[in-house]
Amino acid sequence: MATKLTTTLTQFGGSDASADAHRASGNRLLWRTLVQARIRAGLLVAVALLGIATTVLLPAVLAAVIDAALAGHAITHALLRLAVVLAVATAVSALDDLIGSYLGIAVTARLRHRLFGHALALGVPGQRRFPAGDLLSRLAINADSPSNFLPLLLSAGTTSLTAIGGVVGLALIDWRLAATFLLGVPPAVALVHRFIATAGESFSRYQQLLSSVVTRLLDALRGVRTIRASGTADQEIARILRPLRDLRATGREVWMAQGEATWRMSLLAPVIQVLVLSVGGYALTTGDITPGELVASAAYATMALGSVGLLNAFVALLGCQVGAARVAEVLDEQPEVSPPSVPIPVPPGPGRLEFNNVTVRVDERVVLDHLDLSVPPGASVAIVGRSGAGKSVLVSLIGRLLDPAEGTVALDGVPVSRMELAALRRTVTYAFDRPALVGATVHDMIAYSRPEVSRAEVEAAAAAAQADRFIRLLPDGYQTLLRHAPMSGGELQRLGLARAIVADARVIVLDDATSSLDTATEVKIVDALGGILARRTSLVVAHRAATAARADLVAWLDRGRIRVLAPHARLWADPSYRAVFAADWDPEIDWAGSDGVLEAVAET
Amino acid sequence: MSLKDGRRLLWRHLAPQRVALLRLTAWSALEALPTFFSGLLVAGALDRGFLAGRPLVGFGWLAALAALWVAGAFGTRQVFPWLAAVVEPLRDSLVTVVITASLRRALRDQDTDGGSSITQATVQVESVRALVATLLRTTRQLLASVVAAIAGLAVLSPLLALVVGGFAVLAVLVFMVLLRTLVDRDRRAVLCEERITAVASPLVEGMRDVVVSAAEGRAAQQVGRAIDAQAEASRAYALADALRLPVVTLGAHLPLLALLALSPWLLARGQLGAGQIVGAVVYLVTVLQPAIQVLVNAGGTVLVNLGVILARLAEVSAERPPAPPAPRWTLPGHHLAAEHVTFAYSAHAEPVIRDLTLDLPEGIHLAVVGPSGVGKSTLANLLARLATPQRGELRLGGQPLDDVGDRYLRRTIALIPQEAYVFAGTVRDNLAYLRPTATDTELRRAVAAVGLEETITLLGGYRAEIAPGGGGLSPGERQLIALARTYLSPAAVIILDEATCHLDPVAEARAEQAFAERHGTLVVVAHRISSAMRADRILVMDGADAVLGSHRELLATSSLYADLVGYWDSTASERVTEATA
Repeated sequence: MATKLTTTLTQFGGSDASADAHRASGNRLLWRTLVQARIRAGLLVAVALLGIATTVLLPAVLAAVIDAALAGHAITHALLRLAVVLAVATAVSALDDLIGSYLGIAVTARLRHRLFGHALALGVPGQRRFPAGDLLSRLAINADSPSNFLPLLLSAGTTSLTAIGGVVGLALIDWRLAATFLLGVPPAVALVHRFIATAGESFSRYQQLLSSVVTRLLDALRGVRTIRASGTADQEIARILRPLRDLRATGREVWMAQGEATWRMSLLAPVIQVLVLSVGGYALTTGDITPGELVASAAYATMALGSVGLLNAFVALLGCQVGAARVAEVLDEQPEVSPPSVPIPVPPGPGRLEFNNVTVRVDERVVLDHLDLSVPPGASVAIVGRSGAGKSVLVSLIGRLLDPAEGTVALDGVPVSRMELAALRRTVTYAFDRPALVGATVHDMIAYSRPEVSRAEVEAAAAAAQADRFIRLLPDGYQTLLRHAPMSGGELQRLGLARAIVADARVIVLDDATSSLDTATEVKIVDALGGILARRTSLVVAHRAATAARADLVAWLDRGRIRVLAPHARLWADPSYRAVFAADWDPEIDWAGSDGVLEAVAET
Repeated sequence: MSLKDGRRLLWRHLAPQRVALLRLTAWSALEALPTFFSGLLVAGALDRGFLAGRPLVGFGWLAALAALWVAGAFGTRQVFPWLAAVVEPLRDSLVTVVITASLRRALRDQDTDGGSSITQATVQVESVRALVATLLRTTRQLLASVVAAIAGLAVLSPLLALVVGGFAVLAVLVFMVLLRTLVDRDRRAVLCEERITAVASPLVEGMRDVVVSAAEGRAAQQVGRAIDAQAEASRAYALADALRLPVVTLGAHLPLLALLALSPWLLARGQLGAGQIVGAVVYLVTVLQPAIQVLVNAGGTVLVNLGVILARLAEVSAERPPAPPAPRWTLPGHHLAAEHVTFAYSAHAEPVIRDLTLDLPEGIHLAVVGPSGVGKSTLANLLARLATPQRGELRLGGQPLDDVGDRYLRRTIALIPQEAYVFAGTVRDNLAYLRPTATDTELRRAVAAVGLEETITLLGGYRAEIAPGGGGLSPGERQLIALARTYLSPAAVIILDEATCHLDPVAEARAEQAFAERHGTLVVVAHRISSAMRADRILVMDGADAVLGSHRELLATSSLYADLVGYWDSTASERVTEATA
């Protein structure tokens, strides 16, 4: 309990404007989840109220039975009443937990559905803001925290009401009993205060030491190849575990602090009980109360002492808030790429692409600067430029993986931002240098953009992409589960190419999609693709001269604009163009031109 | 995941603290003392004091109770140091076992995606610490309460004690049955929750591909199914939890009702006085009933959580015994050779390296180039014996690499991967990692050779501490540290696997030059093609095949090499276009 208190408080400690805004948004989310589940919530409140009623009634009913028994009267009715109250109390407590759990489970499930759906809507731009690991932890862990909100609220409410009920019960029997009880409240509050003050520091140091062990382990895992190669495993284990000594000492401090608070609290509670009993005993002697009432007062005092549990509820509620804030942060983010309000169907056409005055900014840096480009239909255009020039950003605009800050991208005369989004994405297909392993089996991955496609088509595409042979070598061929088939970079790229072929799209974008292939395979693929690409528009992000040479035209992207659109052979005469391909050399030297090292380029 | 393995794990790590456990039990007994006597003393206060019109006697009895509570509080105070003495070593030994097993498994399988599961395991060890402590205190409370209530009742009336005791035993038995079901269902819910991450993870990481294929709907459905399955499993758990009803009814309510029902008969027979009845009810209501509630609520949760967590930890820390150490050798030379080596990732895969024969005499400087993902790192691993070929043989100094002693091999062949390993410790610790006995002069020489002086000055000298997580060093600086460390080491064969990729071309050239001038063989898996220019020989990996030669030879014979170098023969392409026109 105490650990949670400190960690939650430290999380809350840092208050800046955005953290406050998130917290407020998180609170709104919490209340919204309640409103959405209002029937179950209402039921829970009703059951909780019934629970309070039975708890408060119980001592009184008990007292009635005892008095009747001691006075020698018939106890049957009183006993029956007691039995009924006990049964109702138990049933209520079980129902309370059940409805509370069901409510929480429904809230969590709904939040998770929403969170994942919104992550998909945020798309590629959203990944920069919320990287994969962060998003997954919000989905798994943070979406769970708000589920306890209402039950905790009710539990806090119930405890408070019960405690108040206990004090009222005492007062109703005899005001002196209530007064005696209330004497104990100030020392209890002082105790808790002191505990948080002294223990807080030890707790946070403990957490720090523990997390330093974890960080050391994670470091070692990242360096696993070095450790293997150096044979220093034992050394590493000793080093990772070095903080344990301090951890043990700090841990002991933590327990001692808890011990201090616990023994004082464990003295306070019974002493108050004894005091109440003493005062009650005195009142019994003077005939102010009955023996049954004395027993009832012991029970009421116990009820009132339950208010200690309020601290736990408070800490847990804080935890709810933190979790809700993290979920709200994602849900509040507006998607950068959203479907058009009035979608137009994709117009028929040969696949002409127009980039008009396109500007794209990434993290305040201008990547594309009032760029113009006209891609003739059916042409293959290589996009060439230094690394970091923005080639991938440029081609991402066509399929609306990103949207430009200014300007328009048009396909066959219609701006892509006005087209129906899903249809656009079926009209433009991409192959990447590192395709993701989506889909369950190899077949699923290749057919991912058109799941209804037949096995024959998948196999044909795989054959064209030179992937058919290695797929057949896999344990279950096309049915092999992706996670059971570790693949090399080149094999993965071939699957990505097969996927692009299956998509049968009007525009194909190859973003460095053949970089891991060996020469022989690349030649075969280029041959096979030749027929497929002939009737379609294709854009190829190229790093190698041979790739650029194969294209009809080269679009040279330089300083945010297209410097020139011309065939590769004509451009090769320009030394600064040649330098783009040898860009990872010393950029000052024109390798292709200097003699003694390379053969001089034949005069064109 | 087996509960039995979990229990065994706990017992193995708890057993060394037996003495502390005994001390803990002794002080707990003192802590429980007041509970034993509470009912008796209240009964006495009533019968002999307040009801008999002698308030002072009543106060006296209550004062005795208060004194007992003070003694109990003293017991509580003394319990905590012993609690720490039991639980802290438990945490330490569990953490050691988990971390050792995790690291060894990662080293064996080279599988580093277990990072999140390992942090989870460490967090779970922490939970075990908290849970075991709670369990120890709760068990003490429970045992004390139940024994106290029954003993107290026995003093008041043996018959009552028997009846109540019987009910309590029944309740506990029903609880044990309930616990089984709860653990099963909790485990299923936990697995379902992990499945959500497992399903969502590739979709989130492959978001680009999902969006491009207009597959958002399908992705949402897939994850949606996992979410719903988890909700279903959680509901099943919640339902099982409602089975606590019979436990509480049996253990707390029925005894109370039975006592009250019997009380007129007991009073009439003169077997019990009014005070004793009240005392018995006090035992039941303030001691036994809360104890049963605690057993069912907190105790149940603690036991279920502990059971599931321990079972998982038992899984994580299961370790195969280490392989016996290979014999020690010292070899006459460091000539490294590969003969007809073929390597594939699995029996079903196409080979990444096919029939490679390579001869590396001592002192040679070799560059390995090729497209990304072609297998250059695999070759580096084979040369450093971090992987074994399916066919063919590697030899060091004439001896098969497999027969070379592990310690000798690791000292003789050094591999620096792209991800430089910098750990929490002093700069000196990091630099002298492979040569702990290095002198300051030797350190400075290595630092000067690779160009690290400026960074070390910025960091604050050799005694400066680097924080865990890399301490704010840039990737380039980390690579320089790894380079200096390896320069300093006694290795005779050094393999750089793109180990200079974060350095600018000038710094890279300087570092490679330093290594080339150093004694021994140098194999550089090139990140920039300029590394090829500096080498004696170049190996071009084109798919599973490889071509060896000098820069000039390869320009003429390998079109891939020419392409990588940025060389394009416009005349050749013109001829081709003419031919196809």
